[in-house]
Amino acid sequence: MMKTISGNEAVALAVKLARVGVVGIYPITPQTSIIEKLAEMKANGELEAEIIRVESEHAAMASTFGAAVAGVRAFTATASQGLLYMHEMTWWVAGSRVPVVMVVATRAVGAPWNIWDENTDFMSERDSGWLMAFASNPQEALDLTLQAFRVSEDERAYLPMMVGMDGFILSHMKTNVNIPSQEDVDLFLPPRKQPFVLDSENPVGMGNIFPPIEYMRLRNSIHEAITHSEEVIKEVGREYQKISGINNYSTLNVKYKLNDADYAVVLMGAWAGDAMEAIDELRQKGLSVGLYRIRYIRPWSEDEITSALKDKKAILVIDRATSLGRGGPLYLELKATLHHDQMCGVVSGLGGVLLNKGDFKEIISRFVEKAKQGNAKGVGWYYPKGGKKIELKSPRYAEE
Amino acid sequence: MSLSLRDMLKSNSLLSGTSACPGCPENMAMRMVGMALGNDVALIVIAGCSSVIQGLAPRNSYNFPVLNIAFAAGPPAASGMWRAYKQRNKNTTVVVWAGDGGTADIGFGSMSGAAERNENFIYICIDNEAYMNSGGQRSGSTPFGAYTSTTPEGKKENKKEIMFILMDHNIPYLATASVGYPHDFVNKLRKAKQIFGFKYVQVLTPDPYGWMFDPSKTAEVGKLAVQTCYWPLLEYENGKLTVSPESLHCLEKSTRRPLKDFIQVQGRFKRINEEEYKALENYIDSMWEKIKKLMK
Ligand code: SF4
Repeated sequence: MMKTISGNEAVALAVKLARVGVVGIYPITPQTSIIEKLAEMKANGELEAEIIRVESEHAAMASTFGAAVAGVRAFTATASQGLLYMHEMTWWVAGSRVPVVMVVATRAVGAPWNIWDENTDFMSERDSGWLMAFASNPQEALDLTLQAFRVSEDERAYLPMMVGMDGFILSHMKTNVNIPSQEDVDLFLPPRKQPFVLDSENPVGMGNIFPPIEYMRLRNSIHEAITHSEEVIKEVGREYQKISGINNYSTLNVKYKLNDADYAVVLMGAWAGDAMEAIDELRQKGLSVGLYRIRYIRPWSEDEITSALKDKKAILVIDRATSLGRGGPLYLELKATLHHDQMCGVVSGLGGVLLNKGDFKEIISRFVEKAKQGNAKGVGWYYPKGGKKIELKSPRYAEE
Repeated sequence: MSLSLRDMLKSNSLLSGTSACPGCPENMAMRMVGMALGNDVALIVIAGCSSVIQGLAPRNSYNFPVLNIAFAAGPPAASGMWRAYKQRNKNTTVVVWAGDGGTADIGFGSMSGAAERNENFIYICIDNEAYMNSGGQRSGSTPFGAYTSTTPEGKKENKKEIMFILMDHNIPYLATASVGYPHDFVNKLRKAKQIFGFKYVQVLTPDPYGWMFDPSKTAEVGKLAVQTCYWPLLEYENGKLTVSPESLHCLEKSTRRPLKDFIQVQGRFKRINEEEYKALENYIDSMWEKIKKLMK
C-alpha cells in the first residue's frame, strides 16, 4: 500500500508490522513523533505492544533491554543528547549480545542548544558494538527498521541494531512510502530468536564478572559477529525484495552513476538526493563523477567499498559529522580502508546548515579541479553562501 | 502469615560457594529472599557487592535467573522484564536488588520513575550505608558522624531517608527490615509478592568490614540497630503507616534502648564526639516524631 507519510510515521509503522512486544519511550526532538504515533496506535487498539513511558533515555534503553532479555521483541528511538544519555546502556546491550532495535533521528549535540540535523550523535556510537544502518529517505527508514529486526535476531548476528535517519529532513518530511502488508511481514519476519532468555525454569546469569581472557573473547566474538553480519544483511535484503519489490537491498551500500566515473563522491543520508541532482548536472557538463552512498557504518564493508572505489582517480568524502581535531568520521573510515593518496574530505551541514544542489555542484567541481592538479588532500569545512531553504525531493533509488 | 523455621530452611536461593566476605549481610538477605519468594523469581542485580558475590562467570551462586546491570538501569530493566513476562503469560516475580548507593544516589531518579509508574516488581534496597564494593565510600544513605573512606572526619550530613520519600510516591507497599530479624523480613517480602505494583523493601545490612565489627556479629548488630531505634521497622500499605512489633517500643523515648549500645559495637563512629553523638540522637528522635505524625 502506498501512503504519504513522514519518516517517523514510517518507523512507527515498521514497529507495528514487526509485532514488537515492548517499546520503551521518552520524547526528544526530532524523534518524538515516532513515540507519539506508537502511543496513538496503542490507544486505538491497533498496537499490541506494551509501552513504557520512562523517565529518561537511559531508562528507555534499559527497559527495552529488560524486555528483550525476558524474551520479547523490543524497540526504542532517540536522538542527540538522548543518545548520549543512553550511551552507557547501548554498550551494555551490545555486550550482552541481545537483539534490540533502535531508530535514531539524528540531531546536533549541545552545547550550545541546536535542534537541527547533524550525524555526529549517530556516528559516536560506532564503537559500541551495534549494527548501524543509515537511511536516506522515509521508505528506507521503514525498510531498514523492518530488516533490522530480522538481522539482529539472526543467530549469526545476535546483536542490537540501530537505524539512523536525518532529523527533520527525513523524520518530518512526508513522501510516498510503500508499506508492506502484515501478512507479508509475518512471512518475512519469523518469531523472535535470541541466545538466552531469562526464565525462572532455567536460571542463567547474565553480565556477572568475567575473567579477563573470557571478557576479551567476548569482545572478539562481537567483532566477528559484526563482520559476519554482512552476509546476513545481504541475505535479509534479498528476502525483503520479495515482499517490497524494492530491488536495492542486495548490497550494503549504494552506487549512483559510479561505475564509469573517474571521480567519486562518498556520503551518507538524506542529502544524497541533492548530491545526485548535482551529479546529473555536472555530468551534462562533461564531468565524470559518480556517487557512493554508505548505508552501513557497521558492518563496514571493506570489500564492497574497495571494489567500488579503488580505481577512481580521486575520492571526495562529505561528512555531516565531525571527529573534532581529525575531520569527519566517514572520511577517517574511508581513509583507513582505501589508503588512496587522492582523497579529500569536506565537513558541512552541521547543526542544520542546509546545502542544496548548487552547493554540491560547487564542492564537487572544486574537488575535481584539485584532483586534476593532483592536489586532492586534507579536510576542509564548507559553509554554504546565503540563506538556504529546504527543497523537498522525491526519493530516488537508482543504483546506476 | 506465620513462618516456621523449617519452612524457611527450604530455600535454596543461594548455592554454596559465594565470593562474599565472611559474615556478609547481603548473603544473609539473599537467602531470605529465596525463603520468602520461592524460585519463580527473576533477579536484577545492579552494580555492587552482589555483582561480585555471585562469583566469576560462567559460575553463579544465585539460584535465580540473574541480569546484572549498570547502576541506574535496574528499575527500568525490571519494568521491561515484567511486561515481557506479562506478554508471555508468565507470573514470575521480578526483583531489583540494589545497594544504598544505587538507590539513594545514582539510581534514585530511575527508581522514582518506576515508582511513579507503579511498575509491578519488588525493589529491595540492601542498605549497608556506604559504597562497600569499592571499599566503603560515603553514600547518600550514610548516617551522620560515620567514618567512611571519603569522610575520614565523619559524615557531616544525615542519612537520606528513602522510605519517607517513597511514601510520597503513593506506592502500594513499602517496608523496612533488618537482617537481624529474618522472620519479619521474610513476612514482608511474602506480603509484597501478593500485591500488584511497585513494592519497596529496604533492609538494613550491617557490613562487618565497612562498619568495623567482628564478622560473627552481623545478626546481632542488625538487632541492635532496631532495639536502639536507630533503624525503624515499618510497613506502609494503602496509605497507612504501621510500626512493626520489634520497633513498637521506639514510639516512646523512655522505652528505647540507649543509642550508645549500637554506636559502640562498631568502629565507624569511633571518632564521634559528645556533641556529634547528641546531634545523631536528636536526629533519631526527630525521625520517630515524624513517624508518629505520619501514623495519624
Ligand atoms: S563488603 Fe560487606 S556487603 Fe560486601 S561482600 Fe563484604 S561483607 Fe558483604
